[in-house]
Amino acid sequence: MLKKIVFNLFAWSIVLMVAFPLFWMLVTSVKPQFELFSRPPTILPQNFTLEHYWKLLSDTNFLGYFWNSVILSTTTTIVVVAIATVGSYSLVRFRYRGRETLAFLVLFTYLLPSVVLILPLYLMLVNLGLSNTITSLVIAYTTFALPYALWLLRSFMAGIPEDLESAALVDGASRLGAFWDVILPQLLPGIISTALFTFILSWNEYLYALVLVNSDDARPLTTGVMNMLISSFNIEWSLLMAASVMMSVPLIIAFAFLQSYLTRGFGAGGVKG
Amino acid sequence: MTQPTKTLLERRYSMLGLLLIAPTVLVFCAVIVYPLVSAVYLSLFKIFTPTLEGSWVGLDNYRTLLAKGEFWTSLRNNLIWTVGTLSLQILFGVGMALVLHQNIWFRSLARSLILFPYFISTVVAVLVWKWLFNDLYGILNHLMMSAGLIAWPIDYLGSMPNAMISVILVGAWKYFPFVVIAVLARLQTIPEQLYEAARIDGAGPIARFFDVTLPQLRDVLVVIIMLRAIWDFKEFDLIFLLTGGGPVTSTQTLPLLVYKEAFALNQMGMASAYAVIMMLIMLVFMIVYIRRTRQEGS
Repeated sequence: MLKKIVFNLFAWSIVLMVAFPLFWMLVTSVKPQFELFSRPPTILPQNFTLEHYWKLLSDTNFLGYFWNSVILSTTTTIVVVAIATVGSYSLVRFRYRGRETLAFLVLFTYLLPSVVLILPLYLMLVNLGLSNTITSLVIAYTTFALPYALWLLRSFMAGIPEDLESAALVDGASRLGAFWDVILPQLLPGIISTALFTFILSWNEYLYALVLVNSDDARPLTTGVMNMLISSFNIEWSLLMAASVMMSVPLIIAFAFLQSYLTRGFGAGGVKG
Repeated sequence: MTQPTKTLLERRYSMLGLLLIAPTVLVFCAVIVYPLVSAVYLSLFKIFTPTLEGSWVGLDNYRTLLAKGEFWTSLRNNLIWTVGTLSLQILFGVGMALVLHQNIWFRSLARSLILFPYFISTVVAVLVWKWLFNDLYGILNHLMMSAGLIAWPIDYLGSMPNAMISVILVGAWKYFPFVVIAVLARLQTIPEQLYEAARIDGAGPIARFFDVTLPQLRDVLVVIIMLRAIWDFKEFDLIFLLTGGGPVTSTQTLPLLVYKEAFALNQMGMASAYAVIMMLIMLVFMIVYIRRTRQEGS
């Protein structure tokens, strides 16, 4: 019994140490500015305030960035998941020449570094007159999101028993009819998880946004918030922490949906780094 | 059913299959294959980024970069960063997975807390750590000083070797949850009988770990190490945002060098040459990984 308590305390102290930076982010965001500079630092805020959140929403362009990020991530997710769903169906359930090579190409691009693609993509998008638009970012984001979504959906697709489809075909359904009526409902949990992961990836992307967008009209949160740090004369840490918290809220929601699925066990390669 | 109609049906199915994969192939060609080929092509030019005007220089870029010290220091930094952060991720990740596999209080809450660093944006992670590292008001310096570990505030990101150590540690913190998820999933599939048998043979907890758990984890660990090695090697955001490659070029890795060359020094051609070389290095890991995955598939 004592051994169990000691082990629990040990385990939880590590967990809390890992989570401490996030706790500190939350605490700093609700402290008034002067309290940040008190020595020793207060662990829990002595004067709770939401002024930084208010300031973030009213005095900065945070909401603009947030909105750009929502449009950007949602569009990327819808485009990518739609293409990847039919693509993975074809890769798993059809026989034609070049199929294996394609599967190999998907895995290869899934591991490809974005710094290699970014230079030609930059030239391409500038030549197309798309620089500084959200569209350019959607195009750029497909380079990492599509291989990723294809790879994930392929394993989900492979998990659906082939007999289900055959049964529908024997009953006289067309191939596409069987896809719509049998495969899609079975694949739905996989589609939802893939969509959430794709959304998280797009929401967190930084490098493409840094290179391709240089105006506040199209800037997403990642580069927008970083800009607030670089351009400010003296750094307001509470404000930045409030921005970090707000930026993480959609991720927490997505994470809550994914959590049961993740802790049930998820093989390597399922989550992209 | 007669033979010809069956082949007709099969042919129609193949056509449908090709039709369904067509959007994927089109997008791949436009945003991945074409840029990849033109990256190699660009590396043979000298291009000024703001005007995008270029002149053919052949292999000169490659000759210049291989003779330059900056390439070799960046490669060395890249290897130090990758090996350092990867080994910490593996050690800490496996340890944490073993702990979370036990029946601890509020296990699912503990698991979510551990996974969280992996899901937040690198921007958020960097902002939080910069605030923790802050030399005047950061909590880390305060805690270390009150514990008597240091006499004066430390400059975590502005001096060496502190900057490299800090970057490696933050990288380990951010990415070890990936190892935890993957190892935890594998741990849950190890049959309980194996442990029973070991226990009957009189194996203690440590012997059970080395004789039962570790051999069972071997395959998944190989996959994790290869994947994480590839991803850590190409990491840009975390290092760029934390130190920008500094002080001077002490934490500058190859991805940062590509970015600097293209968008700070405005040498697009040279940057492409760096990118191509970087990809060639990564190709070794990638081929090993892909081969392995294919073997498992068949």
